[in-house]
Amino acid sequence: MIRQKKAGALGKALVAAIGAIATVSCSDSGSDPAPSPVATPAPTPAPSPAPAPTPPPGGTTQPETIVAFASVESTGRFVTQATFGPTETDLTDLTGTSASEWYRAELTKAPSLALPFVQAFIAEDELNNPNQDFSFPASNSPGMAFWRNAVTGDDQLRQRMAFALSQILVVSSADDELFGLPETVAHYMDILTRNAFGNYRDLLEEVTYSPAMGIYLTYLQNQAGDPFTGRVPDENYAREIMQLFTIGLVQLDANGDPVLGADGEPIETYTNDDITGLARVFTGLSFGGPEFFFDFSTLDEDALFSSMEIFPEFHSDLEKSFLGTTIPANTDAATSIDQALDTLFNHPNMAPFLARQLIQRFVTSDPTSAYVGRVASAFETGTFTLPDGVAVGTGERGDLTATLAAVLFDEDARRDPAQQPNTFGKVREPIMRFVHWARAFDATTVTPEFTLGLWDTSGSGELLQHPYRSPSVFNFYRPGYVAPGTESGAAGLTVPELQLVNASSIVGYVNFLSFFGFELQQFAVDNDLVDAVDAVSSFRPDYSEEIAQADDPENLVDHLDERLLYGRLSTESRQGMIDVISLIPLENEFDPNYDGPRLRAQVAVVMAMTTPDYLVQH
Amino acid sequence: MAQSRREFLLGAGGAGLSAATMGTLSNALTAFPANAADTSGYKALVCLFLFGGLDNHDTVLPFDQASYDRYAEIRGSLLSLYGNQPGGNSRARDRLLPLTPTNAASFGGREFALPEEMAGIHGLFQAGNAAIIGNVGPLIEPVTRTTFENESALLPKRLFSHNDQQATWMSNAPEGAQFGWGGLFADNVLSGAPTTDPFSAIATFNNSLFLSGQTAQAYQVSTGGAAEIEVLRRFEDGQFDAASTQAFQALRTHFAAANYAGANLISRDVAAALGTSLTTNETYNTAIEGVAPFTTAFPENFLGQQLSTVAQTISVRDTLGVSRQIYFVGIGGFDTHSNQAQDLPGLLGQIDGAVSAFFAAMQELGIENDVTLFTASDFGRTLAINGDGTDHGWGGHHFVVGGAVAGQTIYGALPVADFNHAQDAGGGRLIPSLSVEQMAAPLGRWFGLNDSEIAAALPGLAAFGGSEPGFI
Repeated sequence: MIRQKKAGALGKALVAAIGAIATVSCSDSGSDPAPSPVATPAPTPAPSPAPAPTPPPGGTTQPETIVAFASVESTGRFVTQATFGPTETDLTDLTGTSASEWYRAELTKAPSLALPFVQAFIAEDELNNPNQDFSFPASNSPGMAFWRNAVTGDDQLRQRMAFALSQILVVSSADDELFGLPETVAHYMDILTRNAFGNYRDLLEEVTYSPAMGIYLTYLQNQAGDPFTGRVPDENYAREIMQLFTIGLVQLDANGDPVLGADGEPIETYTNDDITGLARVFTGLSFGGPEFFFDFSTLDEDALFSSMEIFPEFHSDLEKSFLGTTIPANTDAATSIDQALDTLFNHPNMAPFLARQLIQRFVTSDPTSAYVGRVASAFETGTFTLPDGVAVGTGERGDLTATLAAVLFDEDARRDPAQQPNTFGKVREPIMRFVHWARAFDATTVTPEFTLGLWDTSGSGELLQHPYRSPSVFNFYRPGYVAPGTESGAAGLTVPELQLVNASSIVGYVNFLSFFGFELQQFAVDNDLVDAVDAVSSFRPDYSEEIAQADDPENLVDHLDERLLYGRLSTESRQGMIDVISLIPLENEFDPNYDGPRLRAQVAVVMAMTTPDYLVQH
Repeated sequence: MAQSRREFLLGAGGAGLSAATMGTLSNALTAFPANAADTSGYKALVCLFLFGGLDNHDTVLPFDQASYDRYAEIRGSLLSLYGNQPGGNSRARDRLLPLTPTNAASFGGREFALPEEMAGIHGLFQAGNAAIIGNVGPLIEPVTRTTFENESALLPKRLFSHNDQQATWMSNAPEGAQFGWGGLFADNVLSGAPTTDPFSAIATFNNSLFLSGQTAQAYQVSTGGAAEIEVLRRFEDGQFDAASTQAFQALRTHFAAANYAGANLISRDVAAALGTSLTTNETYNTAIEGVAPFTTAFPENFLGQQLSTVAQTISVRDTLGVSRQIYFVGIGGFDTHSNQAQDLPGLLGQIDGAVSAFFAAMQELGIENDVTLFTASDFGRTLAINGDGTDHGWGGHHFVVGGAVAGQTIYGALPVADFNHAQDAGGGRLIPSLSVEQMAAPLGRWFGLNDSEIAAALPGLAAFGGSEPGFI
């Protein structure tokens, strides 16, 4: 009796004290009145279960081990690489089916877009006055749209690819101007989503004309130079489209390795003269409307979420010379942009430059040269043959369907994790971990508009990462980042996501995850932006399966290992979890509110998702 | 219950954990020879990094009438945008704050001024507690316009590129570099190398390169104090008997990844980071607990709070057991391709408020002679304008602030605000007159490094024939 009472006090103290986290994590962050509720999301369409397990048809040379959906574990691993994380349904329904068929089915799914949500939010947001700046909630609505689509979108492969592209073709609402233009950001998000399976050349063109990029890289309203005043065109986009979006700084071979010059050093791809020449191309663009130097009140009705328009009188009529290409004097803007993008797109660096970064976003941080070469080849040929022998892709250079298939179905990606070298894998992105939690535990009411903690997750006390809100055009981390003072660094590995791992952010993630993992939304109180009644039900997990196994810690941990880590939990981590969970009492007869099984489930989930085994996917 | 956490930490459990996680790291690194540096007394260096590329031409402005007139001509449309700002044109000559350097004579009648939002730093300069290092930037060897244009000079890699020039300022190499000169400085003053002292190198801004040495590593602290795992604290506070204490300790072992034995290098790095952060955060919070607040008020903005955190940490230097520290703080937003007139004054004002408060706080502690702050940035910017902003440059002008600084002096060079002079790389991008390593060397010597340690931390210095600006 006495033992039980005292032990029960631990749980009670935990529940009570954890309540205090809620008030900290969900504090009031503004003084505006609460927004009106917006429409609840459509329920997630149930993935149509594939019929009886069918092994891939023969006739291909692919070895048997490439079958991605052979077991629950291999399914979990593939879906972890390809989506925002497996749901329970994914694991049960896909196992035993054909991953090739899954891939093709994903290509046909309708895109879940951001702009419709953002516009509906703005329309219903009582804080918005059409004659004033957008409200604070409205300015955060593109992020809300992201969370909704990432968690509930049926087009998971497309959503994941769009998110990967958003970390290469970067715009950021950390920029004050873009923060104030939510429709412009959402329009950009949808460009990436719509083109996720399209052609990179088309994508580059839409990005170049997008007002979001025009604002972010400051070429919206960029004018031709003026020899009398010494004014020259803004060089920002010219520089970054080369360095970050297409060719990079140094010449690459077909496998993405630097080509060395006679001095043994990498050869730079361009000089400042190339930038000055290319900068002339990106002049004469502004929001659609009557005037280049617009007034917001006279813009076209859809200008904020449509391509920029060309104003010929502001476009440079000088010769534009860069990378060995010369666009003659007096060439118009559309033709100049077309030729410039062709030049960049057809540069030999383009395919390996993009291939390596896509591999880093989906599979592994330091891919082998051969892997990069195979993906680059798919980009160049525009075709890839899936394991079942069916080819995807249009056959045109730049086809992203073929490129992405090459990333996911490559032998390096599909090799059994136990057979991988100790350099393989990647740190799961903080955003991905949270979305995975919501998907794995079937968060029922996916309403980020009612969860203030999701409006900005950029701080080191949160995720140090927020969708479409990186600190700069250089993304959250650099593809070439080698972490100082680490074993991977000593081995020379590029590990981009380690750039987000430090003594503050590690703890920030644990606390952020704990807020959701321990269901602290239930302690939400009314504040100026969100009503408690909405907040308490937002992002509540379904732990029923975990609670049912709470009296058997070993089973509970093994269940989470399968659900979250596709069986990769180490012996040490597993034992550590069992040690803690076993010590949490199941009941306390003196405290009717104590829920030991639920507490065990919550602790187990948070522990599983904070093991090194989970934080790094192999 | 906080008391019990301290006791736990100071006991065998904490020490054992710490040794295990630190060992993982240092095993991967080459042992570093014991130091010979002077580590008597206390000294701290603070690097204030201005991300994006500070426009040197809009920070130290020409002031004599002829130079100002030419500047106003070149930057006419930008100055007219300044004129459209609320409060009018802050770059009008009669609103600038003229500098009266002790070495005014060496500029041949040319005069200089700071904008009005830098009144605090202007005051520090005039009082001899701040100096300007003119036209400093990455160099491999001295470069002239001739050797630049005929491509005969060895140039730093990836000039004009943000990430690479940030890395080059911090480490003398582009992106992917492993060792920053702040970290290499710290290596020499760590006692008992190769073990690391986590409080020798502290960052409040998410960037670790500058502070990464062979043994020294950046410890990241947030402005509200070190981060604390809430759930672990609840378990700690919930201890009532042997079982609940066991649960707390098992959970702590989990969050420290103390038993992790995996072979994957990335997983091992994450496990090591979990362990190090847990123990270091606990030690830091214990030290900072109950520290007396400063009379000096720091600005509420991020930079102000970062420098407030640095000042607080310096105030507990004895508790942390450190006699040499290097800090890294940062502020972004300087990539003023557009809206420069609207954005730059506010940013300069933030620097001014935070740096002034920091100096005052060091005076409160009576150690203003032992703490030296300096600015750094990706690069300077073009003198030419693109309408409402400026583009990437190379050399820039920087500030050094502290009681030990031989202040009220402009070191290096301030090239004329015009085109086609001997230091013009085109468009008024300045070819640096001083290399970053020439600026770093006096800081390192003041910090306590001897000649051979300076040569090891700043290997490129030799190319400049021993010439160092004597600003400290």
